[in-house]
Amino acid sequence: MNWTKTIRSEENGAGADRNARMEAEIGRILATEEKLIPSSGFMASVMEQVRQEAALPRPISFPWTWAVAGILLAGGVFGWGVFEILRPELPALDILALRALTLPSPQAWVPLAGPVEEVGWVAMALVISLLCWLLSRRLAGSGGLL
Amino acid sequence: MNATTSAEEDLAAVEQVLAGDVEAFEGIVRRWQSPLINMAWRYCRDRSRAEEMAQEAFIRAWRGLSRWRRESSFSTWLFALAANVYRSELKRFPAQTLPLESAHEPSGAASQLSELEERRRQEALRRAVLALPLRYREPVILYYFHEMDLAAAASAMSLPQGTMKARLSRARALLRRRFPQLEEESAVVELTALNPGKEAAN
Repeated sequence: MNWTKTIRSEENGAGADRNARMEAEIGRILATEEKLIPSSGFMASVMEQVRQEAALPRPISFPWTWAVAGILLAGGVFGWGVFEILRPELPALDILALRALTLPSPQAWVPLAGPVEEVGWVAMALVISLLCWLLSRRLAGSGGLL
Repeated sequence: MNATTSAEEDLAAVEQVLAGDVEAFEGIVRRWQSPLINMAWRYCRDRSRAEEMAQEAFIRAWRGLSRWRRESSFSTWLFALAANVYRSELKRFPAQTLPLESAHEPSGAASQLSELEERRRQEALRRAVLALPLRYREPVILYYFHEMDLAAAASAMSLPQGTMKARLSRARALLRRRFPQLEEESAVVELTALNPGKEAAN
Protein backbone atom coordinates (compact mmCIF):
# COMPACT_ATOMS: atom_id res chain seq x y z
CA MET A 1 0.00 0.00 0.00
CA ASN A 2 2.74 2.38 1.04
CA TRP A 3 4.74 1.30 -2.00
CA THR A 4 1.87 2.28 -4.30
CA LYS A 5 1.75 5.70 -2.69
CA THR A 6 5.50 6.09 -3.00
CA ILE A 7 5.50 5.08 -6.67
CA ARG A 8 2.59 7.43 -7.41
CA SER A 9 4.30 10.34 -5.66
CA GLU A 10 7.52 9.56 -7.55
CA GLU A 11 5.55 9.55 -10.80
CA ASN A 12 3.94 12.84 -9.85
CA GLY A 13 7.33 14.20 -8.99
CA ALA A 14 8.75 13.03 -12.31
CA GLY A 15 5.77 14.58 -14.13
CA ALA A 16 6.28 17.87 -12.35
CA ASP A 17 10.00 17.78 -13.22
CA ARG A 18 9.20 17.05 -16.86
CA ASN A 19 6.70 19.92 -16.98
CA ALA A 20 9.15 22.27 -15.33
CA ARG A 21 11.86 21.27 -17.86
CA MET A 22 9.53 21.85 -20.79
CA GLU A 23 8.36 25.19 -19.46
CA ALA A 24 11.95 26.23 -18.93
CA GLU A 25 12.62 25.33 -22.57
CA ILE A 26 9.58 27.32 -23.72
CA GLY A 27 10.81 30.25 -21.65
CA ARG A 28 14.30 29.96 -23.13
CA ILE A 29 12.95 30.05 -26.68
CA LEU A 30 10.56 32.93 -26.07
CA ALA A 31 13.18 34.95 -24.23
CA THR A 32 15.72 34.69 -27.04
CA GLU A 33 14.21 36.65 -29.86
CA GLU A 34 16.25 38.36 -32.54
CA LYS A 35 15.91 42.13 -32.37
CA LEU A 36 14.38 44.01 -35.30
CA ILE A 37 16.17 47.14 -36.38
CA PRO A 38 13.83 50.01 -37.30
CA SER A 39 13.82 50.83 -41.01
CA SER A 40 15.75 53.93 -42.02
CA GLY A 41 12.68 56.06 -42.75
CA PHE A 42 10.76 55.15 -39.61
CA MET A 43 11.73 58.09 -37.45
CA ALA A 44 11.26 60.58 -40.29
CA SER A 45 7.84 59.14 -40.99
CA VAL A 46 6.76 59.45 -37.35
CA MET A 47 8.09 63.02 -37.09
CA GLU A 48 6.36 63.98 -40.34
CA GLN A 49 3.04 62.85 -38.93
CA VAL A 50 3.72 64.59 -35.62
CA ARG A 51 4.49 67.86 -37.44
CA GLN A 52 1.26 67.56 -39.42
CA GLU A 53 -0.68 67.01 -36.22
CA ALA A 54 1.04 69.95 -34.56
CA ALA A 55 0.11 72.23 -37.48
CA LEU A 56 -3.59 71.46 -37.16
CA PRO A 57 -5.77 73.75 -35.01
CA ARG A 58 -6.51 72.34 -31.60
CA PRO A 59 -9.80 70.46 -31.53
CA ILE A 60 -12.69 72.14 -29.75
CA SER A 61 -12.97 70.67 -26.30
CA PHE A 62 -16.41 69.47 -25.39
CA PRO A 63 -18.14 72.08 -23.16
CA TRP A 64 -19.02 69.75 -20.31
CA THR A 65 -20.09 72.55 -17.95
CA TRP A 66 -22.62 73.92 -20.40
CA ALA A 67 -23.73 70.47 -21.47
CA VAL A 68 -24.39 69.36 -17.90
CA ALA A 69 -26.26 72.59 -17.14
CA GLY A 70 -28.33 72.16 -20.32
CA ILE A 71 -29.10 68.51 -19.58
CA LEU A 72 -30.17 69.37 -16.02
CA LEU A 73 -32.37 72.22 -17.28
CA ALA A 74 -33.95 70.07 -20.01
CA GLY A 75 -34.46 67.24 -17.53
CA GLY A 76 -36.11 69.61 -15.06
CA VAL A 77 -38.45 71.05 -17.72
CA PHE A 78 -39.31 67.57 -18.97
CA GLY A 79 -39.96 66.33 -15.44
CA TRP A 80 -42.14 69.32 -14.67
CA GLY A 81 -44.10 68.76 -17.91
CA VAL A 82 -44.67 65.09 -17.11
CA PHE A 83 -45.70 65.97 -13.59
CA GLU A 84 -48.19 68.59 -14.83
CA ILE A 85 -49.68 66.07 -17.26
CA LEU A 86 -50.01 63.37 -14.61
CA ARG A 87 -51.21 65.58 -11.78
CA PRO A 88 -54.96 65.35 -12.58
CA GLU A 89 -54.58 61.60 -12.59
CA LEU A 90 -53.41 61.52 -9.01
CA PRO A 91 -56.54 62.25 -6.94
CA ALA A 92 -55.26 60.36 -3.95
CA LEU A 93 -52.48 62.83 -3.40
CA ASP A 94 -52.89 66.02 -1.48
CA ILE A 95 -53.26 68.56 -4.27
CA LEU A 96 -52.60 71.48 -2.00
CA ALA A 97 -49.32 70.02 -0.86
CA LEU A 98 -48.32 69.35 -4.45
CA ARG A 99 -49.16 72.91 -5.49
CA ALA A 100 -46.84 74.19 -2.83
CA LEU A 101 -44.00 72.23 -4.49
CA THR A 102 -44.67 73.20 -8.10
CA LEU A 103 -44.63 76.33 -10.15
CA PRO A 104 -47.84 78.37 -10.29
CA SER A 105 -50.53 76.49 -12.17
CA PRO A 106 -51.81 77.84 -15.51
CA GLN A 107 -54.99 79.03 -13.69
CA ALA A 108 -52.89 81.54 -11.80
CA TRP A 109 -51.93 83.17 -15.11
CA VAL A 110 -55.49 83.89 -16.13
CA PRO A 111 -55.02 87.67 -15.99
CA LEU A 112 -52.16 87.32 -18.52
CA ALA A 113 -54.19 85.21 -20.90
CA GLY A 114 -54.65 86.42 -24.44
CA PRO A 115 -52.27 88.30 -26.75
CA VAL A 116 -49.89 89.32 -23.96
CA GLU A 117 -49.20 85.71 -23.12
CA GLU A 118 -48.45 84.83 -26.75
CA VAL A 119 -46.03 87.75 -27.05
CA GLY A 120 -44.32 86.54 -23.91
CA TRP A 121 -43.77 83.07 -25.38
CA VAL A 122 -42.42 84.54 -28.61
CA ALA A 123 -40.08 86.82 -26.67
CA MET A 124 -38.83 83.92 -24.60
CA ALA A 125 -38.16 81.84 -27.73
CA LEU A 126 -36.22 84.73 -29.25
CA VAL A 127 -34.14 85.21 -26.13
CA ILE A 128 -33.31 81.49 -26.02
CA SER A 129 -32.34 81.54 -29.72
CA LEU A 130 -30.12 84.56 -29.12
CA LEU A 131 -28.45 82.88 -26.19
CA CYS A 132 -27.84 79.74 -28.29
CA TRP A 133 -26.30 81.79 -31.07
CA LEU A 134 -24.05 83.72 -28.69
CA LEU A 135 -22.97 80.51 -26.99
CA SER A 136 -22.08 78.74 -30.24
CA ARG A 137 -20.11 81.81 -31.46
CA ARG A 138 -18.22 81.90 -28.20
CA LEU A 139 -17.37 78.20 -28.37
CA ALA A 140 -16.28 78.43 -31.99
CA GLY A 141 -14.17 81.49 -31.15
CA SER A 142 -12.37 79.74 -28.30
CA GLY A 143 -11.61 76.84 -30.65
CA GLY A 144 -9.89 79.23 -33.07
CA LEU A 145 -12.46 78.78 -35.84
CA LEU A 146 -13.67 82.42 -35.78
CA MET B 1 23.14 54.86 -21.75
CA ASN B 2 22.02 54.03 -18.21
CA ALA B 3 18.41 54.06 -17.03
CA THR B 4 18.71 57.23 -14.96
CA THR B 5 20.14 59.24 -17.85
CA SER B 6 17.45 57.93 -20.15
CA ALA B 7 14.70 58.82 -17.65
CA GLU B 8 16.13 62.33 -17.26
CA GLU B 9 16.34 62.76 -21.02
CA ASP B 10 12.76 61.56 -21.41
CA LEU B 11 11.53 63.96 -18.77
CA ALA B 12 13.41 66.88 -20.34
CA ALA B 13 12.10 66.01 -23.81
CA VAL B 14 8.54 65.74 -22.55
CA GLU B 15 8.81 69.13 -20.82
CA GLN B 16 10.12 70.67 -24.05
CA VAL B 17 7.34 69.14 -26.15
CA LEU B 18 4.70 70.32 -23.70
CA ALA B 19 6.22 73.79 -23.87
CA GLY B 20 5.63 73.78 -27.64
CA ASP B 21 8.89 72.40 -29.07
CA VAL B 22 7.64 69.78 -31.54
CA GLU B 23 11.17 68.76 -32.58
CA ALA B 24 12.00 67.61 -29.05
CA PHE B 25 9.73 64.64 -29.67
CA GLU B 26 12.36 63.30 -32.06
CA GLY B 27 14.58 62.41 -29.11
CA ILE B 28 11.78 60.31 -27.64
CA VAL B 29 11.20 58.54 -30.96
CA ARG B 30 14.94 57.88 -31.35
CA ARG B 31 15.24 56.34 -27.90
CA TRP B 32 12.07 54.24 -28.01
CA GLN B 33 11.61 53.29 -31.67
CA SER B 34 13.43 49.99 -31.38
CA PRO B 35 11.64 48.75 -28.21
CA LEU B 36 8.23 49.76 -29.54
CA ILE B 37 8.77 48.09 -32.93
CA ASN B 38 10.09 44.93 -31.29
CA MET B 39 7.14 44.88 -28.94
CA ALA B 40 4.73 45.28 -31.87
CA TRP B 41 6.57 42.52 -33.72
CA ARG B 42 5.84 40.13 -30.87
CA TYR B 43 2.16 41.00 -31.19
CA CYS B 44 1.85 40.42 -34.94
CA ARG B 45 5.11 38.86 -36.28
CA ASP B 46 4.83 41.02 -39.40
CA ARG B 47 7.60 43.55 -39.86
CA SER B 48 5.78 46.22 -41.84
CA ARG B 49 2.72 45.97 -39.67
CA ALA B 50 4.88 46.19 -36.55
CA GLU B 51 6.28 49.51 -37.80
CA GLU B 52 2.79 50.81 -38.58
CA MET B 53 1.57 49.85 -35.14
CA ALA B 54 4.61 51.42 -33.48
CA GLN B 55 4.04 54.61 -35.47
CA GLU B 56 0.45 54.73 -34.27
CA ALA B 57 1.67 54.24 -30.70
CA PHE B 58 4.05 57.20 -31.06
CA ILE B 59 1.28 59.41 -32.45
CA ARG B 60 -1.00 58.47 -29.55
CA ALA B 61 1.87 59.18 -27.16
CA TRP B 62 2.34 62.60 -28.80
CA ARG B 63 -1.35 63.41 -28.40
CA GLY B 64 -1.54 62.16 -24.83
CA LEU B 65 1.82 63.39 -23.53
CA SER B 66 0.15 65.80 -21.11
CA ARG B 67 -1.65 62.87 -19.51
CA TRP B 68 1.59 61.24 -18.38
CA ARG B 69 1.67 61.60 -14.60
CA ARG B 70 5.16 61.54 -13.23
CA GLU B 71 4.16 58.87 -10.67
CA SER B 72 5.39 56.11 -13.00
CA SER B 73 8.40 56.20 -15.30
CA PHE B 74 7.96 57.44 -18.84
CA SER B 75 8.82 54.00 -20.20
CA THR B 76 6.13 52.32 -18.08
CA TRP B 77 3.55 54.80 -19.36
CA LEU B 78 4.73 54.44 -22.97
CA PHE B 79 4.68 50.63 -22.88
CA ALA B 80 1.21 50.55 -21.32
CA LEU B 81 -0.03 52.96 -23.99
CA ALA B 82 1.62 50.92 -26.75
CA ALA B 83 0.10 47.70 -25.40
CA ASN B 84 -3.34 49.33 -25.54
CA VAL B 85 -2.76 50.50 -29.10
CA TYR B 86 -1.50 47.09 -30.26
CA ARG B 87 -4.34 45.28 -28.54
CA SER B 88 -7.01 47.43 -30.18
CA GLU B 89 -5.24 47.31 -33.57
CA LEU B 90 -5.20 43.53 -33.45
CA LYS B 91 -8.85 43.45 -32.44
CA ARG B 92 -9.68 45.48 -35.54
CA PHE B 93 -7.42 43.51 -37.88
CA PRO B 94 -6.29 40.23 -36.28
CA ALA B 95 -2.84 38.88 -37.09
CA GLN B 96 -2.72 35.94 -39.49
CA THR B 97 -2.50 32.96 -37.17
CA LEU B 98 -3.31 29.28 -37.25
CA PRO B 99 -5.44 27.80 -34.49
CA LEU B 100 -3.28 26.43 -31.68
CA GLU B 101 -4.38 22.87 -32.54
CA SER B 102 -2.96 23.17 -36.06
CA ALA B 103 0.40 24.64 -35.00
CA HIS B 104 2.49 21.61 -35.97
CA GLU B 105 5.60 20.77 -34.10
CA PRO B 106 8.42 20.19 -36.56
CA SER B 107 9.21 16.48 -36.67
CA GLY B 108 12.61 14.84 -36.32
CA ALA B 109 14.54 13.14 -33.59
CA ALA B 110 16.24 15.33 -31.08
CA SER B 111 19.68 14.09 -32.06
CA GLN B 112 19.13 15.11 -35.69
CA LEU B 113 18.26 18.70 -34.97
CA SER B 114 20.05 20.89 -37.42
CA GLU B 115 20.38 24.58 -36.85
CA LEU B 116 17.74 25.23 -39.47
CA GLU B 117 15.32 22.83 -37.87
CA GLU B 118 15.99 24.33 -34.47
CA ARG B 119 15.15 27.75 -35.84
CA ARG B 120 11.99 26.46 -37.48
CA ARG B 121 10.93 24.83 -34.25
CA GLN B 122 11.54 28.01 -32.29
CA GLU B 123 9.62 30.08 -34.83
CA ALA B 124 6.73 27.59 -34.68
CA LEU B 125 6.60 28.02 -30.92
CA ARG B 126 6.70 31.83 -31.18
CA ARG B 127 3.91 31.77 -33.74
CA ALA B 128 1.92 29.41 -31.53
CA VAL B 129 1.93 32.16 -28.89
CA LEU B 130 -0.18 34.25 -31.29
CA ALA B 131 -2.75 31.46 -31.42
CA LEU B 132 -3.26 31.51 -27.65
CA PRO B 133 -6.46 33.12 -26.36
CA LEU B 134 -5.88 36.86 -25.87
CA ARG B 135 -6.01 36.71 -22.05
CA TYR B 136 -2.99 34.31 -22.11
CA ARG B 137 -1.27 35.61 -25.22
CA GLU B 138 -0.62 39.14 -24.02
CA PRO B 139 0.95 38.19 -20.66
CA VAL B 140 3.37 35.88 -22.52
CA ILE B 141 4.27 38.58 -25.05
CA LEU B 142 4.83 41.26 -22.43
CA TYR B 143 6.60 39.05 -19.89
CA TYR B 144 9.25 37.91 -22.36
CA PHE B 145 9.46 41.32 -24.01
CA HIS B 146 10.25 42.82 -20.60
CA GLU B 147 12.98 40.20 -20.13
CA MET B 148 10.92 38.22 -17.62
CA ASP B 149 10.27 41.21 -15.38
CA LEU B 150 6.87 40.28 -13.95
CA ALA B 151 6.26 43.69 -12.36
CA ALA B 152 6.93 45.56 -15.63
CA ALA B 153 4.73 43.21 -17.63
CA ALA B 154 1.90 43.40 -15.08
CA SER B 155 2.12 47.18 -15.02
CA ALA B 156 1.97 47.37 -18.83
CA MET B 157 -1.30 45.42 -18.68
CA SER B 158 -2.57 47.15 -15.52
CA LEU B 159 -2.99 43.73 -13.90
CA PRO B 160 -2.05 42.53 -10.41
CA GLN B 161 1.14 40.47 -10.43
CA GLY B 162 -0.68 37.41 -9.06
CA THR B 163 -3.14 37.42 -11.98
CA MET B 164 -0.29 37.89 -14.40
CA LYS B 165 1.59 34.95 -12.89
CA ALA B 166 -1.48 32.70 -13.08
CA ARG B 167 -2.11 33.58 -16.72
CA LEU B 168 1.53 32.98 -17.59
CA SER B 169 1.42 29.59 -15.96
CA ARG B 170 -1.74 28.64 -17.87
CA ALA B 171 -0.24 29.90 -21.14
CA ARG B 172 2.91 27.81 -20.61
CA ALA B 173 0.78 24.76 -19.86
CA LEU B 174 -1.15 25.27 -23.12
CA LEU B 175 2.08 25.60 -25.09
CA ARG B 176 3.60 22.58 -23.34
CA ARG B 177 0.65 20.42 -24.39
CA ARG B 178 0.97 21.67 -27.95
CA PHE B 179 4.72 20.96 -28.12
CA PRO B 180 5.34 17.67 -26.30
CA GLN B 181 8.61 17.09 -28.17
CA LEU B 182 10.15 19.99 -26.31
CA GLU B 183 10.75 17.61 -23.42
CA GLU B 184 13.20 15.45 -25.32
CA GLU B 185 14.89 18.46 -26.79
CA SER B 186 15.24 20.24 -23.47
CA ALA B 187 16.95 17.09 -22.18
CA VAL B 188 19.35 17.26 -25.13
CA VAL B 189 20.06 20.91 -24.38
CA GLU B 190 20.81 20.04 -20.76
CA LEU B 191 23.07 17.12 -21.79
CA THR B 192 24.89 19.31 -24.29
CA ALA B 193 25.44 21.90 -21.60
CA LEU B 194 26.78 19.25 -19.22
CA ASN B 195 28.95 17.31 -21.72
CA PRO B 196 29.75 19.59 -24.64
CA GLY B 197 32.66 17.41 -25.86
CA LYS B 198 30.67 14.19 -25.86
CA GLU B 199 27.77 15.74 -27.76
CA ALA B 200 30.17 17.16 -30.36
CA ALA B 201 31.77 13.74 -30.83
CA ASN B 202 28.34 12.21 -31.49
